[in-house]
Amino acid sequence: MSQPAVELREITKRFPGVVANDEVDLTVERGSVHALLGENGAGKTTLMNVLYGLYEPTDGTVVVDGRERGFDSPRDAIDAGVGMIHQHFMLVDPMTVTENITLGNEPRRFGGLAVDRERARREVVELSERYGFDVDPDARIEDVSVGVQQRVEILKALYRGADVLVLDEPTAVLTPQEVEDLFAVLAELTDQGKTVVFITHKLGEAMTAADRITVLRDGRNVGSVAADETTREELAELMVGREVLLDVERPATDFGDEVLDVAGLTVTDERGVRAVDDLSLSVREGEIFGVAGVDGNGQRELVEAITGLVRPDDGTIRLEGADLTDRSRRERIEAGMSYVPEDRQEQGLVMAFALVENAILGSQHAPPFARDGRLDWDRAGEHADSVVSEYDVRPPDARTEAGDLSGGNQQKFVVGRELERDPTLLVAAHPTRGVDVGSIEFIHERLLELRAQGVGILLVSSKLAEVQALSDRLAVIYEGEFVDVVDPADTTEEELGLLMAGERPDTTGDPGTDTAERGATEPPEESTGETGTADGSGGGGE
Amino acid sequence: MSTLERVRRRGADLDLGRRGQAAVASGVAFAAFTALGLLFPGTIAGTLVDVIFSAGTLSSALRLSVPIVLAALGGIFAEKSGVINIGLEGLLIISAFGAIYATDLTGNLWVGFGAGVVASTLLAALFAVVCIEFRADQIIAGLAVWLIALGLAPFASQVIYGAPNTTSVRTPPSAADVVLGLPVVGDVLRVLVSAATGFGAAVVTVATGLRNATGGVPLAGLLVEAVVTVAGAVHYVVVVVLVGALVEANVVVYLTFLMVALSWYGLYRTQFGRWVRASGENPRALDTAGVDVSRVRYAAVLLSGVLSGMGGSALSLTLGQFTGNGPTMVNGKGFIAIVAYLFGNYNPVGAFLSTLLFAGLDALQIVLQLRDVGVPNQLIRVTPFVMVIVVLALVGRTRIPSAAGEHYESGEE
Repeated sequence: MSQPAVELREITKRFPGVVANDEVDLTVERGSVHALLGENGAGKTTLMNVLYGLYEPTDGTVVVDGRERGFDSPRDAIDAGVGMIHQHFMLVDPMTVTENITLGNEPRRFGGLAVDRERARREVVELSERYGFDVDPDARIEDVSVGVQQRVEILKALYRGADVLVLDEPTAVLTPQEVEDLFAVLAELTDQGKTVVFITHKLGEAMTAADRITVLRDGRNVGSVAADETTREELAELMVGREVLLDVERPATDFGDEVLDVAGLTVTDERGVRAVDDLSLSVREGEIFGVAGVDGNGQRELVEAITGLVRPDDGTIRLEGADLTDRSRRERIEAGMSYVPEDRQEQGLVMAFALVENAILGSQHAPPFARDGRLDWDRAGEHADSVVSEYDVRPPDARTEAGDLSGGNQQKFVVGRELERDPTLLVAAHPTRGVDVGSIEFIHERLLELRAQGVGILLVSSKLAEVQALSDRLAVIYEGEFVDVVDPADTTEEELGLLMAGERPDTTGDPGTDTAERGATEPPEESTGETGTADGSGGGGE
Repeated sequence: MSTLERVRRRGADLDLGRRGQAAVASGVAFAAFTALGLLFPGTIAGTLVDVIFSAGTLSSALRLSVPIVLAALGGIFAEKSGVINIGLEGLLIISAFGAIYATDLTGNLWVGFGAGVVASTLLAALFAVVCIEFRADQIIAGLAVWLIALGLAPFASQVIYGAPNTTSVRTPPSAADVVLGLPVVGDVLRVLVSAATGFGAAVVTVATGLRNATGGVPLAGLLVEAVVTVAGAVHYVVVVVLVGALVEANVVVYLTFLMVALSWYGLYRTQFGRWVRASGENPRALDTAGVDVSRVRYAAVLLSGVLSGMGGSALSLTLGQFTGNGPTMVNGKGFIAIVAYLFGNYNPVGAFLSTLLFAGLDALQIVLQLRDVGVPNQLIRVTPFVMVIVVLALVGRTRIPSAAGEHYESGEE
């Protein structure tokens, strides 16, 4: 190989209070597929945005084609032959494939007045034939599948003369079949001399599709390896890393009766894919049942089906023996189900409401806060004040709008509100996501207090260390199914990492049963604070 | 890929199908109604058919359509680019007054027409700056445009002419006046017109002769009746539409035809039109393609000012006066224009046809009130609106540009 297509030298990117990239070196050979692998928040997307000119690096240099570049905007990057395919496609739905590919660069005739539609179409057909793309140039974007839309995005970059294609989590929105098609397309592109960099958090994909893999962790390049010279174990270890110690005192408790019983749950997501597949689990009083997994493996659908936000296709959900499968949100809340949602800003709070109003969301219809169709604001205020002071929400003023609070304080407030409902079951989805260390500890303590009071807790988190430290039993979810249910104290992170990658253990555990007492008596030896595990949806919007 | 795509495809087909069915159903109903009217001339149906197929109804429908269609074209460009311009009414008012005032000052109709366009474009520019630069709410700013014009035009008239109504100026010529006055072209047209009239008459004569010749033969009678009916229709199309309405139509009607065609071409065949549509659907896609979204939107809103200005100027100049009492002479035409382009699904041709339908119903309604058809006038007066609702229900959903009404801020972070 001659000169590398792209070379990033000691790239550092700081945001206020965060170092997203810390002296990252990256060399991408021409004509190769390079995977950028790492957990959510590892700095993959930031690094690529630096390459694409969306961010200006705090320090370091970008070299494309052997020449040092300073990109001020994506336009500069496009001119230098770097094209980016974002996770959210930049396409105009009612327009055709051809119109989208040529948008902004339309060939023209009649002295620049009219678009030369024949030429545009011809050029698009030629381009897609050259790379073996199966794309109908006259189809409307809104009528084609996501996989085809992605190919249109790739063609758009190629039409603009891109030599280096950067794909941000390209498989996140695709079905397994479409993923295969995409990898075939990437292989064809590199055969013809193009260079591809793709961001992923799935190590299986990196190993299948890439020639070389660079692993990022906490903003640093922790290793670059050739895909055919590495193993899943090595990659998992690089991704997860050694972790700092975080002490979680988890005293022994006696598990009581079964609180939550989920049997045969099947949920189809909006793409028509089976997100949760015939899944069963149970949570007992005083037990924390953890669900670990790479995001996008059905956790959201599982949680939303249990809490009543989506309707399952099949299966039953019982709370303390009562069938809640067809019950509304309100009935579930009344039955004692509390819910800390994954996205506090979308689902947990009304950002434009004061904390007083947010404090009674979910209880606004019933006494003590509502009487005779009127809200009792004095009661609501008292309640909000008590949540604010007990959960150390700052600023300690219930009249503050939720949107004016920092993320950590918003989260503490949501946790506080849900815990104060006096639940019999708490469903907590990523309760410490995007929260500072102090708040994380605080939330963990509260969860353990609740456990000591005999509340059953279903804890979903992509932070391996968190679920490992807190859970009495830990299920690993992959593609909508539990790969295994383990005792977190007896399982190493590497083992968990492999389970999360979908590798089934040799001796299959029996999901949803056993492990009565184990793990409950002794806290795990080592575990940690911050390791996240990937995020399929947001793409790490740093 | 497969299921999703198939479901979507099917949805699209269904949608298209419903539209097609509606068109076919209306066509069949109309034909049946016409046949009924022709067979029984004495009934209400007969009267209706008689009124519908008269040159007067068509030419007044065309005349009423002019300002509405032009404003609708302007509205299409603005909204397609993502800026909802509900100030069309105000743009019509200001240009209607401006055109009369400038004509009165200079004595030149073309200068007056241009002045109306300039006045409207300036007001549109103000609207554009407020919405695009200062991120004002488009609905509120649009209402402000209307209210400003509604106050300003009659006030200016009061100051200048001492009354909300201006003095009268001369009106633009009809197409016949213009073209027939030309040396060679005029002669050619004259020949064509008489040939067309002669052809129509000949068709009817032949048909009538046929009827007389076969009188008394039972089976042939029906057949001949059909032939006569068709002949009548041909005569109608050739003589009434071509000669009656078009030749006598004002030049502004032709301007409108031209603008409808140009707008369609501009929107669907030029680079600018593509950018306008992309800007209203997914401005981010346009931005990442290296096109300045704000600039596209400015151009589109200014264009809506130009087109509405043409509409307002045409409206007042063809009547020779600006009347500023109450809602002024514009009287809601700008708002009907919004309905028209929504109705026409943002397609210039669709907007034109829907305006014609509405204006036609309005013209029909006026004629029917004058004739006694045994229905109270109050009921007749609401028929255009009832018909519009019926047609809207049949046509189905309008597809609003996804980013319409949303401010777009370029910028990478």
